[in-house]
Amino acid sequence: MLRYDSTSSSAGSSSGSLSSSSSSSKPPQQDIDGLLAGAGYKVRSSELRQVAQRLERLETAMGNSPADFSQLASDAILYNPSDLACWVDSLLTEFAEPPPTCSSDFIVDPVNNQTVVNSAWTTAEPHTPQVHQNITYDEQQSLDNQLTVVTAMEEDSGIRLVHMLMTCAECVQSGDLSLATSLIGDMQGLLTHVNTVCGIGKVAGHFIDALSRRIFQGMGGGSVNGGSAFENEILHHHFYEACPYLKFAHFTANQAILEAFDGHDCVHVVDFNLMHGLQWPALIQALALRPGGPPLLRLTGIGPPSPDGRDSLREIGLRLAELARSVNVRFAFRGVAASRLEDVKPWMLQVNPKEAVAVNSIMQLHRLLGSEQTRNSPIDTVLSWIRGLNPKIMTVVEQEANHNQPGFLDRFTEALYYYSTMFDSLEACRVQPEKALAEIYIQREIGNVVSCEGSARVERHEPLAKWRRRLSGAGFRALHLGSNAFKQASMLLTLFSAEGYSVEENEGCLSLGWHSRPLIAASAWQAVPAWDNHMSSS
Amino acid sequence: MGRSKEVNLNECKMVVPLNTWVLISNFKLAYNLLRRPDGTFNRHLAEFLDRKVPANANLVDGVFSFDVLIDRGTSLLSRIYRPATAEEPQPNIAELEKPVTAEVVPVIIFFHGGSFAHSSANSAIYDTLCRRLVRLCKAVVVSVNYRRAPENRYPCAYDDGWTALKWVNSRPWLQSQKDSKVHIYLAGDSSGGNIAHHVALRAIESGIDVLGNILLNPMFGGQERTESEKRLDGKYFVTLRDRDWYWRAYLPEGEDRDHPACNPFGPNGRSLEGIKFPKSLVVVAGLDLIQDWQLAYVEGLKKAGQEVKLLYMEQATIGFYLLPSSNHFHTVTDEISKFVSSDSIKTIGERIMQCIGPLLCVDYVCLFKCFLG
Repeated sequence: MLRYDSTSSSAGSSSGSLSSSSSSSKPPQQDIDGLLAGAGYKVRSSELRQVAQRLERLETAMGNSPADFSQLASDAILYNPSDLACWVDSLLTEFAEPPPTCSSDFIVDPVNNQTVVNSAWTTAEPHTPQVHQNITYDEQQSLDNQLTVVTAMEEDSGIRLVHMLMTCAECVQSGDLSLATSLIGDMQGLLTHVNTVCGIGKVAGHFIDALSRRIFQGMGGGSVNGGSAFENEILHHHFYEACPYLKFAHFTANQAILEAFDGHDCVHVVDFNLMHGLQWPALIQALALRPGGPPLLRLTGIGPPSPDGRDSLREIGLRLAELARSVNVRFAFRGVAASRLEDVKPWMLQVNPKEAVAVNSIMQLHRLLGSEQTRNSPIDTVLSWIRGLNPKIMTVVEQEANHNQPGFLDRFTEALYYYSTMFDSLEACRVQPEKALAEIYIQREIGNVVSCEGSARVERHEPLAKWRRRLSGAGFRALHLGSNAFKQASMLLTLFSAEGYSVEENEGCLSLGWHSRPLIAASAWQAVPAWDNHMSSS
Repeated sequence: MGRSKEVNLNECKMVVPLNTWVLISNFKLAYNLLRRPDGTFNRHLAEFLDRKVPANANLVDGVFSFDVLIDRGTSLLSRIYRPATAEEPQPNIAELEKPVTAEVVPVIIFFHGGSFAHSSANSAIYDTLCRRLVRLCKAVVVSVNYRRAPENRYPCAYDDGWTALKWVNSRPWLQSQKDSKVHIYLAGDSSGGNIAHHVALRAIESGIDVLGNILLNPMFGGQERTESEKRLDGKYFVTLRDRDWYWRAYLPEGEDRDHPACNPFGPNGRSLEGIKFPKSLVVVAGLDLIQDWQLAYVEGLKKAGQEVKLLYMEQATIGFYLLPSSNHFHTVTDEISKFVSSDSIKTIGERIMQCIGPLLCVDYVCLFKCFLG
């Protein structure tokens, strides 16, 4: 099984990730062929010829053994199809000789051993209007301007409700609370005429409540997210059962962790939010079945302290230890109780320098974002000590949403479409009480995004594009999730979930969404060694 | 075999711009990985490789888009593209389905290509193409994410197209101000062109008016091996073998290529004589191996007394319309724009241009200026 890591690619191919911090002097974006970018491929104009040559080699290689192809294709693991140069190279490595390290104008045809003079392109290009070729591809701009909406057929009253919600949110933003209040009343009346089974109608009620709380109770809104840790765990567990988002998160992260641990005998997973430890049985079993035998596995689970003398972390640890014992995996568990992730200090994790460390964060990093971007904010502190641990891998799963914008109306709008899509997907769930409790879980998130501010607002979701910038800037580089993770995620969906979910690959990261709207994104990272990082901040 | 392959590669490179060659070659090679000899399709790998883009309700170059679930039962999604208007330069997020305000707004129902098996409405190449169509024709474009083969054979794609047509026709917000009707055009490339034809066929007795069909390199075929198929097999990205594979994947099992879905004017086809079929604009690429079937389609329409305009692009290969880096691209887009706007001509200048119509590969603007002296 070939693991192709684009960061160690052969000479001449472009770097795997556009957001890599150790880039060449010329910003990659300006040299990208604008037309191919519109088709979803990133190729530097200066490399176009080389890529074409490699495609030709690949074609020749494929021509030589066509029957082997689709079988090879099923087994090969491919990464980051947008980076055309790297992708073609990885195929060449699978099917043919690796590409030459020096580019030349001559291709040797392996069949006939003849030399084909590749001069056709130097003179024969049809006239192309130059203006099209030199479009400056501004990735940053295109990513920041994104607002994805999926709607179902709405009746008129549904549409009216959306209008009123937006108007009300606008009033809240501008401080016109009396108009906002009367709109709340109108909307509650309208709710009785709207189909509340699916789409906007379903979720509108929760947004009306959240707005109303914001107006009447001020923005401490403590009670919204303040259910006990015990309650939160129950709701989380039901959300896990009712829809595939958390399963996808766990599954994808586990796959990446498993690969990162390959060849290591002592491994240590740090889970930023243990909950009921639902992610770990699958990893323990996968490690048990590993060729060459399982490693010694240490798991450090972080979670809130439990009231009334219970040690819930330890209880989960014991259950996992039992499972590990039953499959002959040497296992040790440690619980770290902390109310907030930023209260955790690295020494509490007792990482051994000889072990391979995996840091696993499922929807936790966003809680560290404050609304102000100060230096040494919790996110910077935590990312910095993670980097200090030099983990073999850091798996990050986050909601794919822009819920941390400073403007209330923008945030509200995003949340309205995000959560109505999520609720829509939940419609397919047939089991109770999982479905009802999952809805309450989501409802609490909505409440936090809409009616809380300051330190009370912890659901500060940011889209993958922002996380990429942030993590690259903090000294991490992306490890690409490949076609095997993608395939297994798709298969998981086909087996266990309703129609309508979709997995997408985006520059090495995978996302799961409902129809065409990604809702949750998974990525994997590694610390850039300190001497490589030209952008290290003092 | 080796010798002629070299010749093929070199010839091919000379007729397309480099970036188009890279794009289409990449597709060709990727698609080779996906088709299995036993007729199954590596769908997971296909979805992994397909470059997709999300809809964007914020304006980008004068166009915004959003997705709509048209039919829950079949998970039928469509992506709606709308132009910004003078009255509403930045659309309000809550008013995505705001009524169109112009006298006449063409609504183009677009079916993406992919030989019935590949691509989606949210594939980057098709998202880009649809946005161009919006700007070009000042139209609303509805791109249908129809079910694909081999998992969903005939007639699923046509059923989905028909569902979309009914949906579009019944949207009050898509009605033109002039007559409170939806001005519908069907368009598609490759398999999408085939779907457009068959959906138009289904619409005939339904009372839904389709104003025109735009077929870009439409996918048709038949049992017989035509001259163009033999001459161009394997020369310009496409082989007969892969064409056969896709038909076997789409057509009902056991059926051959003379099935009317594949060969509408063949031995099992239906005559369109005396039928009120929409006018058609058919674009044929001179280096496409299935052109004989496409030309036969045009003949079939003509023989039945239907209005059809053929645009034969001699040096064009398949996929030439995906990147605007060739003259072919601009000629075709000009024609499409005229085809769609000819139902609502406003200026004398435009009327004159329409009369000059049948001339191909002529710069209309130049001609018009000469005419005025």
